[in-house]
Amino acid sequence: MTNAIPEVKLAEEHVGKWGMVINQDICTGCQACVAACAMENNITFVGEEDSGYGRSMHWIRIERFWEGEYPEVKMTPNQPMLCQQCGSAPCEPVCPAFATVHSTAESLNLQVYNRCVGTRYCANNCPYQVRSFNWRDYERPEPLPNQFNPDVTVRRRGVMEKCTFCIQRIHKAQDEAKSEGREVMDGEFTTACAQACPATAITFGRTDDPQSLVSQLAHKGHGVKHLEELGTLPSVTYFKGG
Amino acid sequence: MADHKHDAGHAHTEEHFREKHLMLDPLPRGQMNDMVMESMTGKPGWKFWTAVIILSGIVAYGLVYSWAKMIAEGVGIAGVNRPSYWGIFLVNTVFWIGISHAGTFISAILRVFKAEFRRPFTRAAELMTTFGLVQAGFSVFMHMGRVWLSYWLFPYPNQRMLWPNLHSPLTWDLLAITTYLLSSTMYLFLPLIPDMAMARDRSTGWRKNLYKALALGFRGTEGEWTHLRHAMNIFAFAIIPVMFSVHTIVSWDFAAATRPGWNSTIFGPYFVVGALHSGMGAAVIVLAVIRSNMKHMDYFIRAEHFDAIGKLMLIISMTWAYFFFNDYMVQWYGGDKWTHQLLHFHEAGPLGWMWFAMLFCNVVVPWAILWNTKWRSTPWLVSTVGIIINVGMWFERYIIVPISLTINRAPFTWRMYTPGVEIPLGIGTLALFILLYVLASKLIPLIPVWEVQEGQMAHELKKFGRETVVSVSELE
Amino acid sequence: MTDSNVVDLLAVFSDLAPAADAVEQLRAMGVHDDCMNVISGVPVTEAMLGRPRQWTNVPRIAMGGAILGFGAGFFLAFISPYLYPYPIQVSSQAFVPGPPTVVVLFELTMLGMLLSTFLGVFLDSFFPNYRPMKYVPEISDGKIAIFVECPHVEEKKITDVLKKLGAESVKPAEAQHL
Repeated sequence: MTNAIPEVKLAEEHVGKWGMVINQDICTGCQACVAACAMENNITFVGEEDSGYGRSMHWIRIERFWEGEYPEVKMTPNQPMLCQQCGSAPCEPVCPAFATVHSTAESLNLQVYNRCVGTRYCANNCPYQVRSFNWRDYERPEPLPNQFNPDVTVRRRGVMEKCTFCIQRIHKAQDEAKSEGREVMDGEFTTACAQACPATAITFGRTDDPQSLVSQLAHKGHGVKHLEELGTLPSVTYFKGG
Repeated sequence: MADHKHDAGHAHTEEHFREKHLMLDPLPRGQMNDMVMESMTGKPGWKFWTAVIILSGIVAYGLVYSWAKMIAEGVGIAGVNRPSYWGIFLVNTVFWIGISHAGTFISAILRVFKAEFRRPFTRAAELMTTFGLVQAGFSVFMHMGRVWLSYWLFPYPNQRMLWPNLHSPLTWDLLAITTYLLSSTMYLFLPLIPDMAMARDRSTGWRKNLYKALALGFRGTEGEWTHLRHAMNIFAFAIIPVMFSVHTIVSWDFAAATRPGWNSTIFGPYFVVGALHSGMGAAVIVLAVIRSNMKHMDYFIRAEHFDAIGKLMLIISMTWAYFFFNDYMVQWYGGDKWTHQLLHFHEAGPLGWMWFAMLFCNVVVPWAILWNTKWRSTPWLVSTVGIIINVGMWFERYIIVPISLTINRAPFTWRMYTPGVEIPLGIGTLALFILLYVLASKLIPLIPVWEVQEGQMAHELKKFGRETVVSVSELE
Repeated sequence: MTDSNVVDLLAVFSDLAPAADAVEQLRAMGVHDDCMNVISGVPVTEAMLGRPRQWTNVPRIAMGGAILGFGAGFFLAFISPYLYPYPIQVSSQAFVPGPPTVVVLFELTMLGMLLSTFLGVFLDSFFPNYRPMKYVPEISDGKIAIFVECPHVEEKKITDVLKKLGAESVKPAEAQHL
């Protein structure tokens, strides 16, 4: 009985399919990723009041922490936080309507807007608190509706949403590759946030391909996965202090 | 002195027992029927109409208008935010389900254990169960972002080819609460059938038609009684595990989540006891209100009943304290930094007063007052304790839901929760509960007369030497 | 319609003991137990009146409902996950999650059992029944009434016996709207 002790899957051994590496050391906190994400994914603008009350809707946010009192403030590196596309996501089983499920094909954590009834249990159970809820139908003044991304659904009030790893771009690239009879190449496309980052702090790609840039960065050795002790198997690796 | 002592030794005269115990103070059945009918059909006074008008107004604004507005504009007009995705709606859901536990506790557990003092108020308590569950249902539906799609949560074959996610505690909740609502309503109705027949026999006009319809043609034949008794017996035993499962599953909504402060294995029994705590408190309030506002109720509901419920409240309060400490101790000892943050936030955060008020209301007040037989037998005092316990238990749920949600593993998102439209909606459910109860008190006999008569037949005084004691025969 | 031979009487007693005596006496006079029926305002057990045990189907119906409920729970817990057009995976949990199936089975078994217990009362008692029936409203005041519906006995004799045993009134039973 060599296998009497069950195997434990560690966070760093989780391969998944799509992954991201975020280098906090070169992140300037410029928020370009936040803006690009909002444009790409038709995220609404909640306005000053709701934003101040903790209802801002961003699929990616830059977390800044500091220690001490002004002016003796010690900053920690900026921390872009987005859905970690967990391999074992706590948000999925708690939804009574199967509105958030695991895609076995893409190894992603999906959000199905039209199934969502708005119990908000998934958001409670997300240890990263990266889900955004449509508290109201926020106004989108002209000419903003003209910049809607036609590949992405516009969500209405009462629906939960979150980062999809720009699944519309993934599908587009896959369709193109398929029509040309090849595999998707590394660097052929990337997510909106990675594309917009002037410091190239965000790298996106196939983690199941050991040759890809994202895999090579992820295995450099000093990467961390957030809250890996919870066993969520995140797909995003962070670097800092290196 | 010697004489006085002698008197004291023989204080328990028959008269004393009769005054004290409803079961030893039998009246002819006809007279009891008339008393119950009069309390129900008597012309409602200005107090009744004022209550109905005010309550209807609150329901219309608090529940109908506010909810319609929230459906039209979105949950945004409530105070829920990130990270407190669940606010007072869920607090109220847990609270109302808690209230509903008293009815089952009184009418099922006390029936199973043949606690005779239950007889006059089983129905009053069962009504609380049904009406409380209605409020719990409203509260949980209000909470939903897209309530118009709530039917998707029920299992039925549909063109979306989806079944509810049975991995989700919320789906278990839906099944459990539906089961509990249906079975407690049926359990309310079964013992009501003979009383409906009684009311049918002595009413006229629209009431006659109503009671005739609800009595279903009950005559009281041997067969009917046998079927009814068997059914009530099955219900009494089977509804107890259903009741425990309901609040345990409600607790799993929290305990199954990966959150500091929630992920606790003792939440199941802790919630069940908490439910009974608030439920018994509410039951005693209802009894005191009925007793002082309805005709002849002081005959049926006496100091002995407040005394008996007071004892239960004291025991439940002690059990609650035990579970609370158990939960606290293990969470504290675990040493998880987030849990420590949360515990510190509970006690020393901006709403720390609520944490201490909870302990004061749930433990200090009941322990300080309910140990004393005399105080326990004073309706206004026990019902005040009941109100205080309910405030304390509401605080407990508030601490568990929005306050605990404030602290999570992503400190960037920590933010306080300020209730918005939850307040009128919550008050609306309370008003609807009272309104339903007020209307029901005019429509259904609140006292199960046949059960009281059955109890009175079973009770007698028996002499052991010089001591007179109460003895009960088991009629079944 | 009414055979002149058939006695159809209704005797009202105010207490249990005379009613029990009457049942015994009637039986001694050759009135079969099936020809008697007792109605009362409180549950009077068969043993108190010396009557044969009443048959009830309620526990059986309850058991049947429990089995049906268990079946519904089994369907939901073990079959419905396979009815999707494609397999839906949540987290790393199994397709048919272990412990939650217990919850589903329990709730639906109890629901089936309690619903059918309720239904059982309706079926066994023929509820709801709004046709005219033989009844005296006094029984909800705590009285006990005995119906005697029996051929081949003398009405006069029975009336006398019942009166002697303490019946408050003995009169021909008539079906009426309740």
